[in-house]
Amino acid sequence: MIEVSNLHRWFGSVHAVRGVDFTIPQGQIVGLLGPNGAGKTTTLRLLTGILRPQSGSIRIAGTDALARPTASRRAIGYLPESAPSYPEMSVRGFLRYRSKILPISPRDRIMSIEKVLGLCRLSDVARRRIGQLSKGYRQRVALAASLLHDPPVLILDEPTNGLDPTQVRDARSLIADLARNRTVIVSSHILPEIERTCGRLIIIGAGRVLADGTPEELRRTRTSNACIVQCRAEPDRVLPIITRLGYKAEVEPIESGWFRLRVRGSDPAEARARIGAALTEASIAIRELRDEVVGLEELFVSVLESAEVPEP
Amino acid sequence: MRSTLAIATRELASMFRLPVGWVVIALFLVLTGAVFVFGALVPGQPATLRPVFGTTTLLMVFVAPAVSMRLLSEEARLGTLELLSSSPVTSWQIVLGKYLGAMAFLLLMLAPTLLQAGVLMLASDPRPDLGPILAGYLSLILVGGLCLALGTLASTLTESQTLAFLGTLLTLVCWLLLTNVAPQHVGPKFGAILARASFSARIDDFARGAIDSRNIVFFLSISIGLLVASATALELRRWR
Repeated sequence: MIEVSNLHRWFGSVHAVRGVDFTIPQGQIVGLLGPNGAGKTTTLRLLTGILRPQSGSIRIAGTDALARPTASRRAIGYLPESAPSYPEMSVRGFLRYRSKILPISPRDRIMSIEKVLGLCRLSDVARRRIGQLSKGYRQRVALAASLLHDPPVLILDEPTNGLDPTQVRDARSLIADLARNRTVIVSSHILPEIERTCGRLIIIGAGRVLADGTPEELRRTRTSNACIVQCRAEPDRVLPIITRLGYKAEVEPIESGWFRLRVRGSDPAEARARIGAALTEASIAIRELRDEVVGLEELFVSVLESAEVPEP
Repeated sequence: MRSTLAIATRELASMFRLPVGWVVIALFLVLTGAVFVFGALVPGQPATLRPVFGTTTLLMVFVAPAVSMRLLSEEARLGTLELLSSSPVTSWQIVLGKYLGAMAFLLLMLAPTLLQAGVLMLASDPRPDLGPILAGYLSLILVGGLCLALGTLASTLTESQTLAFLGTLLTLVCWLLLTNVAPQHVGPKFGAILARASFSARIDDFARGAIDSRNIVFFLSISIGLLVASATALELRRWR
């Protein structure tokens, strides 16, 4: 549905996008992650045709976006980061205007407008001027405008910007619903948000794809080589046992008598087995013994740190 | 065409939703009304709207930049240019839609001045010739169209409405000076070339009631050229 190959974009001497490649099939929600200035928004602008790449190829819903830009844009619904709209227009007026620009037949316009008003819970404010609405509502107005023509490809740049927690939850479930028969790219810097919404992550840094896969796949490639032990014994009793086994550990008190150990070793599974056996033999109570789970934040930082990031 | 008309209609409606549109119209009508009362409606003088057309043409140099300054600058400032640029419309459709919206505003602004022609018809004996009046209106539309096309180009080049206004105004004033004042100071050969680029001299032809197709082609070709340049400038933003 979206095929991007060897995409390059310079801004003067700055090489902002450096050979980005990915393919996203229909029905997949992909999270585009990256620090500020990584090239996320530039990549999205290249996909939507706002910017043209200096080299590479883009296919949107089977159409060559560089050879037939207007045709490929018919398949895209785009929510820009700033969720722009016209403050002097009413919500319904803005949607009516957008419906005349987007590929919607005149007889379907009213139905499309009513549908997105309901979908984005805007029916109550349909007659209000956009300039009088809160940031959250304006965000939903822009999202509604991107859905008007029922596009097969949805590109959302920071869609939960300015939303309160309830609205974020609603937006998340709306995006999940929308992805059933669409291809969706969501760019965000709110990592838990992305983790909950997206089945696949593409991490971009310095204009390159640094990692691409499901959160689980990425975690597997980025194991921390550490296991977590919670036991009831003083550190000066536990640490010699761990050291004798050939591991290094960091100790942290949790509550009365209980300590949390982070034990590092080359094989966490073997480390777990050996530590479990040794502590049991020493009659030390254990209440947790597991591999350390890499959170998305750690994963993100680890991907960025391990990549050789060239100067722009 | 549907998208172009949608853009034009929104542009026109937005000018009436904001105070700036009403202020521009009010100022324009007060000034042209004053010129009509004190310059054209004078007892004992031949019945003509020539003084009104002369002043209105000069007024157009100030009014048109005020109308055109927000066309694309405002879209860029609001971020809505991103919406338009990612929509299935071409840069040419965007520019043409914006320009047509501004032209429609200009026509609506000129429409009340038809009352002046009506009053002159009723108050004068003998009645004024209809030819110079129609030619005068045609010239105002052509000059207005040219000034708006220049303003459209300026507003594609900057996000600042002030810069777009000043850029258009400055260019028009320089154009007037170069083609009306400079020819007397640069020698006959070069002066003649400059004078041919004068639009105020061509307006005089219209005011006399002479509709010369060369004058129409002059205004239309420059306006179209400026609109093509605007569409090109907008398209080039995708490559910047």
